[in-house]
Amino acid sequence: MPAPSLILALLFVVCFTLATWLQPWHQSWAGGRAQSDSLLGVVMGNSRQLFANHFFTKADVYFHSGYYPSVFDQAIGGAPHITAAKDAAAETDAEHGREQSEEAGFLGPPRDWIDRFSRNFYPSRHSHLDRPGEAREILPWLRIAADLDPHKVETYTVAAYWLREHLNRVDEAEQLLREGWRANPDSYEILFELGRVFDENRHDSQRARNVWELALGKWRQRSARNGEPDDFVLEQILTRLAQLEEREGHWEKALSYLEKLEAVSPKPEAIQQQINDLKKKVVSAPPANRSGAQQTGKP
Amino acid sequence: MPAQAVTTAKLPGMKPILKIEDLVVEYRTREFGQRVTVAVNRLSLEVFPGEVFGFLGPNGAGKTTTVNVLLGFVPVTRGAAYIFNVNVRDPIARQRIGYLPELTYYYKFLTAEELLRFYARIFRIPRAEIGPRIDEVLKLVGLDTARKRPIKTYSKGMQQRIGLAQALINEPDLLILDEPTSGLDPIGRMNVREMIQRLKSKGKTVFFSSHELGEVETVCDRVAILHQGELKATGRVSDLVEKYKCNLEQAFLKVIGYEPGHE
Amino acid sequence: MNNALSVASIVIKELYRRKDFYVLFVLTAIITLLMGSLHFFNDDRIVRYLKEICLLLIWISALAIAVGTSARQIPAERENRTIFPLLAKPITRGQLIAGKFLGCWLACGLALIVFYFFFGVISVSREHQWAAASFFQALWLHWWMLGVVVAMTLLGSVVFAAPSSNGTICLLIILSILLLGRHLNKVAVQLAEPMSGVVSAVYFAVPHLELFDVRDLVVHNWDPINWLICVGATLYAAAYAIFFLFATWLVFRRQPLV
Repeated sequence: MPAPSLILALLFVVCFTLATWLQPWHQSWAGGRAQSDSLLGVVMGNSRQLFANHFFTKADVYFHSGYYPSVFDQAIGGAPHITAAKDAAAETDAEHGREQSEEAGFLGPPRDWIDRFSRNFYPSRHSHLDRPGEAREILPWLRIAADLDPHKVETYTVAAYWLREHLNRVDEAEQLLREGWRANPDSYEILFELGRVFDENRHDSQRARNVWELALGKWRQRSARNGEPDDFVLEQILTRLAQLEEREGHWEKALSYLEKLEAVSPKPEAIQQQINDLKKKVVSAPPANRSGAQQTGKP
Repeated sequence: MPAQAVTTAKLPGMKPILKIEDLVVEYRTREFGQRVTVAVNRLSLEVFPGEVFGFLGPNGAGKTTTVNVLLGFVPVTRGAAYIFNVNVRDPIARQRIGYLPELTYYYKFLTAEELLRFYARIFRIPRAEIGPRIDEVLKLVGLDTARKRPIKTYSKGMQQRIGLAQALINEPDLLILDEPTSGLDPIGRMNVREMIQRLKSKGKTVFFSSHELGEVETVCDRVAILHQGELKATGRVSDLVEKYKCNLEQAFLKVIGYEPGHE
Repeated sequence: MNNALSVASIVIKELYRRKDFYVLFVLTAIITLLMGSLHFFNDDRIVRYLKEICLLLIWISALAIAVGTSARQIPAERENRTIFPLLAKPITRGQLIAGKFLGCWLACGLALIVFYFFFGVISVSREHQWAAASFFQALWLHWWMLGVVVAMTLLGSVVFAAPSSNGTICLLIILSILLLGRHLNKVAVQLAEPMSGVVSAVYFAVPHLELFDVRDLVVHNWDPINWLICVGATLYAAAYAIFFLFATWLVFRRQPLV
């Protein structure tokens, strides 16, 4: 065998041996990036979370048609803008009005003539994508944010909300939430949103109940682990379950949820009033319907 | 050593077409202490209409600096230079001159025709005349068949010829040539000599710097010899040869004080 | 003016005979069309992200053309020695600078027209509406901004030795102004003296190129800007461009060419 070929063969053997020796060593120090089966994960590493956050904020910017405080505005103004447009829409009108005035104020009066003149060249008025179908414009950024960081739960819940509530794309919302749930099996937030899809859009009370009860279980598990209960989401889950059970005529279950809700609600007197109203309803209901209070929903 | 004016050959009443008065050009080097280099030291000379004037000197004598002053590339430290009685600092002084640089580089992305059209517009040649003028000049330098090719495809000889063409586009009364035969083969040099003689026969004035003393002896009416920034001699070629009793090359060496074996 | 226009015509010829513009346009078109082929949640009427990406690519390409073309004009003339036969003609250095500026600026304008036409086609094909006034204002303001950029880069080209260093420095300055220019007054407020004074001085002195960046208005379908304001911005850009060109002339007129 000629010398160059022998050398080549020898080099090949050495390389192969080195590779088999280095690969497990690399796996042990490269961490999650080496284990990642996603090209984005391998290429970007943990920086993809930064980008995901950026694109999530971008969706909020789009929701406000470009009117958004910069980091410098936030440094001066103090309170950063709330990025979850879904949360903004979920609040009451009064709260949203207060938020609007906060948002409108982030620019403040012009500091000098350049500042005054420049406001003609960028969005300087508060605005939302309110017209029918306009909210679709935020979707690409939410999609990209979800792809970059599948573990950012808020992305799925916000996107699903806008898909089903404002764009009438229920199938896409459900598909997205399921995708989010696969990536985050312990997320009660995603389960809650999924329950809303079943309840509000599919009108499938049984499945909605199942999913919300699962969400409740996940919440309890996480609270027990973390010791930092997220009472806001718990309130919503309990409220929805109570409403569902009341609608279905399962008074006892509804009362049970309302009582749990009263313990965590910031307005316990309002919940107490609801409990009283429900009890009156139970009492005044015909005997046949009153017996529905005994029934329990099947998972 | 003061310049030796061998003869001052001029017709009475004839005004010089090119006049340099007590020209001094100094360069400040960028070294610490800013040493001053005197490139041209109190140069005065005149060139009259219709003559072929040779500007001679060894490397570093100040020939190119003088030419650069005439063209406005280099500012004057003291003194002045005039072309057609207009100070060289004024761009209009260059309206009636043609300049052929030693190193000929032109816009490589342009064709010969485009380049000449560009320069013709700067000379404000009327639109109707530009086309015929370009045709004439390209035929004169032998580039008619290559007029539509980009200059980047030209050989060195062709680039030299396009340089000549752009120097002649405005039918100049004064032609300033910086080492016109540098890098040319014997045929190229012969063509340049013929071109200079043709221009002279048309009454044009030619001012050129050169190392090729043989050619200078052939075509020039008068010469000036520069050494270390100073004018050493000026006058007719024949008068110089007669004075030093030798050919121009040896006369040149004597004037600049060169002795063989002493570098 | 004749001399300046003649020089400008040469600059424009150079631009469209080089490959830069075509490469940038093709890249912009390919990336935009690729992004446009994506469907998010089965909705093919989403358009704003595409407009934003297309406009971002246009801005990047236009800056590359403007800075790249301007940075090499005078240094290339010197290096290639084409400046000598040119200045040996009856043309002043001021006319040369004016010609280079006009050429680069007009070339940028031509490039912008092509880019914005492509942008308009993409936008109309999705939105089925044509915000002509907004598009025109965006193009106009962008072009005038590039005028300031070209003038600034020309000044850099007679100050700095190498086109690459000039281009890098100019790009850094331009990007800094675009990203931070609007916010310098806010930064100044938070600093102690004397830094506050320095930052304020910088804020008032620099050309506010970000004024001409109206991409957000176009992307989010805001109403066109008041035309008087547009005229004001144009005059603002013209003032800075003239200032930079004057400074360029002041530096260049006394520079020895050899």
